[in-house]
Amino acid sequence: MTNLFEVSNITLRFGGVVSLSDVSLYQKRGEILAVIGPNGAGKTSLFNSLTGVYKPQEGSITFNPKEGEPISIIGKKPHVISHTGVARTFQASRMFNALTTFENVKIGAESHKGLGAIGSILRGPATRKDEKYSDARTWDLLDFVGLRAKANYIASSLSYGERRRLEIARGLATNPEVLLLDEPAAGTNPSEKLELTDLIRKVRDEMEVSILLIEHDMKLVMSLAERLYVLNFGSVIAEGTPDEIRANQNVVDAYLGTTSVEGSH
Amino acid sequence: MNFPFIKKLSIKAITILILSELAAVVTGPPGNADTPWIGFHDSITQKTSFFGLFVTGRWALFYALGILSYLIVYFFNHNDFKNSASDSLRSSYRSVAGKKYFRLIAMFAIGVVVVLLPTIITDPFWREAMVSQIAVFILLALGLNVVVGFAGLLDLGFVAFYAVGAYATAWCTGALPVPPLFGSHVNPFFAIPVAIILAMVAGVILGIPTLRLRGDYLAIVTLGFGEIITLFANNLTGVTGGAQGTKQVPHFSFHVGPLKYIWGLDPAPYYYLVIGFVFLFIFIFYSLEHSRVGRAWTAIREDEVAAESLGINPLKYKVMAFAIGAASAGFAGVMTAAQSNFLTPATFTLSLSINILVLVIFGGMGSIFGVVFGAIVIQTITMYLIHTPPAGYQPQDLYIYLGALLVIMMIFRPAGLFPARRRQRLDVSTSSFENSND
Repeated sequence: MTNLFEVSNITLRFGGVVSLSDVSLYQKRGEILAVIGPNGAGKTSLFNSLTGVYKPQEGSITFNPKEGEPISIIGKKPHVISHTGVARTFQASRMFNALTTFENVKIGAESHKGLGAIGSILRGPATRKDEKYSDARTWDLLDFVGLRAKANYIASSLSYGERRRLEIARGLATNPEVLLLDEPAAGTNPSEKLELTDLIRKVRDEMEVSILLIEHDMKLVMSLAERLYVLNFGSVIAEGTPDEIRANQNVVDAYLGTTSVEGSH
Repeated sequence: MNFPFIKKLSIKAITILILSELAAVVTGPPGNADTPWIGFHDSITQKTSFFGLFVTGRWALFYALGILSYLIVYFFNHNDFKNSASDSLRSSYRSVAGKKYFRLIAMFAIGVVVVLLPTIITDPFWREAMVSQIAVFILLALGLNVVVGFAGLLDLGFVAFYAVGAYATAWCTGALPVPPLFGSHVNPFFAIPVAIILAMVAGVILGIPTLRLRGDYLAIVTLGFGEIITLFANNLTGVTGGAQGTKQVPHFSFHVGPLKYIWGLDPAPYYYLVIGFVFLFIFIFYSLEHSRVGRAWTAIREDEVAAESLGINPLKYKVMAFAIGAASAGFAGVMTAAQSNFLTPATFTLSLSINILVLVIFGGMGSIFGVVFGAIVIQTITMYLIHTPPAGYQPQDLYIYLGALLVIMMIFRPAGLFPARRRQRLDVSTSSFENSND
């Protein structure tokens, strides 16, 4: 069985600044994988490379969908990558603030069809069938994340935890094989964090969508992730299960500073 | 009624007084070194009439207008729009059923007025203006609304598509120095599809290279495009007739079997033709707004990166907005060419682009009802000032008023008189959350 993501030796530079250097990692199908690391380690850059926002100068990223040929991600536009089955959320929730919760999710559900100008004007049976299908799917997803009651609220009126769930629903609406979550728990309160953990596990178990996660909250990561990568200064410094990572001296050094600093005092 | 309230009110009254005095002075006679205060002096002594109702000093006229606009703004700002967006949204969903009757009656009344208007209005000036200055501008405002209101792209050269439509009509009907498209002179009806398609093609040609740009950069490029088209019309004498203008463009005519009709100098038949197309375009744009396409436009306008991550191709949808907006401008061009029988490049100026933008901003970007309302109100005021100019009014003063109106709108009601539902936002800022993690 092939891996879902195969990232080999990617290097991403902005002028002289090296954001990712020689990063290799893989994700198994159906896995909850987490990428952790201190601020500025290159986690979000990795996400942006996986979704086509940034274009690494070296290396290759291959995505293996359930059906069809493996796809090389580098050089593809974000909307094309979305069509192949990769969905994401953003670090600072980026919703369509002028639209309702329902419309936000619906956009995800219908974005994979053609432009639809003529159909939208004439509203023939095919268009109406599409609408009906997107509506039904949107309601299902709102139920799934528990936002049905807020369907007609303007997105900007939602609480922070609700926005996170909305973003997850919107990503799932595109019918992905993998969902990339960029710090989903940031800014949420403890009870929302628990709900979110359950939701993410539910996404994997019930929707059969693999999860790739960036997170700062160690408790959440360690309880959720099945395998982790640790990034520091743009390089992978450790890989393993939560227990292995906890015991890894490199990781402890990266987060707490090295013992040599302590010794110099 | 307490002291701070009265204080606040008197500050507003004094502000309006100062602004109106300023307006009275700048519209008065120019001063010179010997009489530097003549504008100020005249603004107090000179008498003028207030829409023919009463005679007053010019400063008082402006003061009355200022107070009136303030009251209008105050009224609009204190209705349900001001409530939290989600509340008003929920209540509007609930009350739609109750309002359905009212809505039907209102639509019927509007329909009757629209149909009977040419018989009500008898003044030849207004009959003419009704078609060439109001109905045509409704079409232009509707088209620009797709680009600016729905897709959120600032287009400062919209007049280019209007010019393309008008010159395409002249081409098809043999009014240009180059041979007509179909080999012989045809009636402008056949020019309609050609003009619309050419305008849409112009939209695509302009759109594909420029729509990668955002915000201010796009505005500058579209501004340049508008100027290029005007310069072409002016200088490509062998093709467009140059600054002299075109030869005569024939009127619309209709000749099928025993039925024969020629649109003549009477504006009424033109009025019905344009209004028919206005309703057609309103239907098309309304359908698009409430479809997949409209939602995609809103998504791109709100957050292009997020829209792209969901699989929306921003470039395609933006080009589409340009082409669809251009279609109605192209049709407006056909109407102008056929009705006025004659085109010169002087019609298609930058100030016309700005004028159309003012209609859209005033009425409410993204709101179809708003921009139609805006076009009717502003064009009627413009025409009124031309038809019965107040004392001391010069034609070029118009832009002072439009500019002042725009400034006032931006301060008090930036989303326009009738804000689009998708443009109303909560005032709650999201910024407090956004960097909470850093």
